[in-house]
Amino acid sequence: MSYININNLTKDYGKGRGNFDVNLTIEKGEVFGFAGINGAGKTTLIRQLMGFLKPSSGYATINHLNCWEHSAEIKKLIGYIPGEIAFPDAPTGTEFLRRQAELVGLTDMSYAEALIKKLQLDPTANLKRMSKGMKQKTAIVAAMMHDPNILIFDEPTTGLDPLMRVAFIDIMKDEIKKGKTIFMSSHMWDEMEAVCNRVALIKDGKIVAVQSVKEVKHNKNKVYHICFRSEVDYERFQAESLVFGEKFNDELKLAIHIKDKDVRDLFKIMKNYDVKSFVEFKLSLEENFKKMYD
Amino acid sequence: MFSGAIFKQTMKANWKLRAIFTVIPMIIFVAITAVFDMETIYTMADVLEGTPMASMMKEQSFLGVVGSMFFGMQGLILLMIYVIITANSLVASQVDRGSMAYLLSTPTKRSTIIRTQALYLITAILATFVILATAGTVAINVFQGDAGVSIAEFLILNSGAFLLMFAIAGVSFFFSAVFNLSKHSITFGAGLPLAFFILDIMADMEGFESLRHGTLITLFDIPAILDGGNNVWWQLSLLAIIGCTLFVAGGKIFVKKDLPL
Repeated sequence: MSYININNLTKDYGKGRGNFDVNLTIEKGEVFGFAGINGAGKTTLIRQLMGFLKPSSGYATINHLNCWEHSAEIKKLIGYIPGEIAFPDAPTGTEFLRRQAELVGLTDMSYAEALIKKLQLDPTANLKRMSKGMKQKTAIVAAMMHDPNILIFDEPTTGLDPLMRVAFIDIMKDEIKKGKTIFMSSHMWDEMEAVCNRVALIKDGKIVAVQSVKEVKHNKNKVYHICFRSEVDYERFQAESLVFGEKFNDELKLAIHIKDKDVRDLFKIMKNYDVKSFVEFKLSLEENFKKMYD
Repeated sequence: MFSGAIFKQTMKANWKLRAIFTVIPMIIFVAITAVFDMETIYTMADVLEGTPMASMMKEQSFLGVVGSMFFGMQGLILLMIYVIITANSLVASQVDRGSMAYLLSTPTKRSTIIRTQALYLITAILATFVILATAGTVAINVFQGDAGVSIAEFLILNSGAFLLMFAIAGVSFFFSAVFNLSKHSITFGAGLPLAFFILDIMADMEGFESLRHGTLITLFDIPAILDGGNNVWWQLSLLAIIGCTLFVAGGKIFVKKDLPL
């Protein structure tokens, strides 16, 4: 059985909200991303993994332990960043982190210190008066300071400025090197592309697709944009037996869909034309999923 | 079973409120004790000579007057407010705000959390009454040393008031544990105890006596306690049983319910 196992998981809130028959398996060391618009059911799934919600049917396990029945047990493995940050009553960030450390039985705060440094956080600030970004950083430190094996993050970069997002992604990459398993929801495609092995798309509570980031990045089906110098060539080219995509008549540019192995043939054809530019149009995760949402 | 760490944190988060709601009733009680003069009561009885009130007045003792004033009104309402606020803040408010996520993302069982919070509430109420009873005993000795006040009866009154608060805490804590939203927890957890209080006051009025059956406060029968009435013990036991049942039931529901964290 996989490290994280989600089996026919359903949480029905009525009116089509919740999760419906979700099946996912995540291996140890895998970084799994979870995308979807607001209200698609991302947080509901994460709350079921954390044992906060009882599934209507189906089950989820982490390290062979049922997430609902053994929710306290599995927390020994998990570091969690909730989607909404609301800290308990504590005067300062430092005091809050110290109390959290006590609850997880952590005495060595050196890793917490390192994280604080990397995120440029001043934890001595008043917890209630912290900015959204500072709160988010504090939450990140609280989730990771005890060096848990599994990181469950619900939109971890909300509130962070672009520089801090980069810092956070760097921290995640370090964790990935250490072999951590990460399950994160996000709507930032670029950060998921940067860290995830696989990304699932959830829509109306159902998983509509699971994609390997590698496959998307190294898709065997390529799209090229070819731009011609003359209208004559542009028109003539369209008679070739190729698969054409979008056409930009004003720019004398068109898109070609072609498999990697056929690119040589394309080059042979292009020899007969006056080509101004030839650019591979990189498919991102975002565009790949956008197609599915439509 | 219980979490020492959570208990400590709860104590730190709540000590100000607890201090305020211990000191104020204490001052009120000491002040009443200091200014109370049995002679005033007798004078009033003389004035009312010939009316049925007079015999009632003459039978009054220090505890009869102060007891029903403090434990029936000012002290009762103050402690009730304290219990209501604290019960809500211990569970429902933390779930509503989402801060409970930080307790539950650690390897702490829900049952441990809820037991610890219940223990805190009960301990806090008990501590308040221990302080009140101690300060009260001292005040009685200082100001009413020659009035022949029975300290034993005073302590029984305190114990009874504690059991009443315990039952009311059970009501507030139950709703705090059951509801995920503060507004719902407060509607019932504060609404019900306040309704008890209002019914208790109304039941003193002629024609409304039957309202007595609708409020828990009836079970803390101050005159009966001072008279050594036969019903006192089962009434007080009933308060204890109601409190225990509600604390346990709230905990059982909290452990099984969905938490939006």
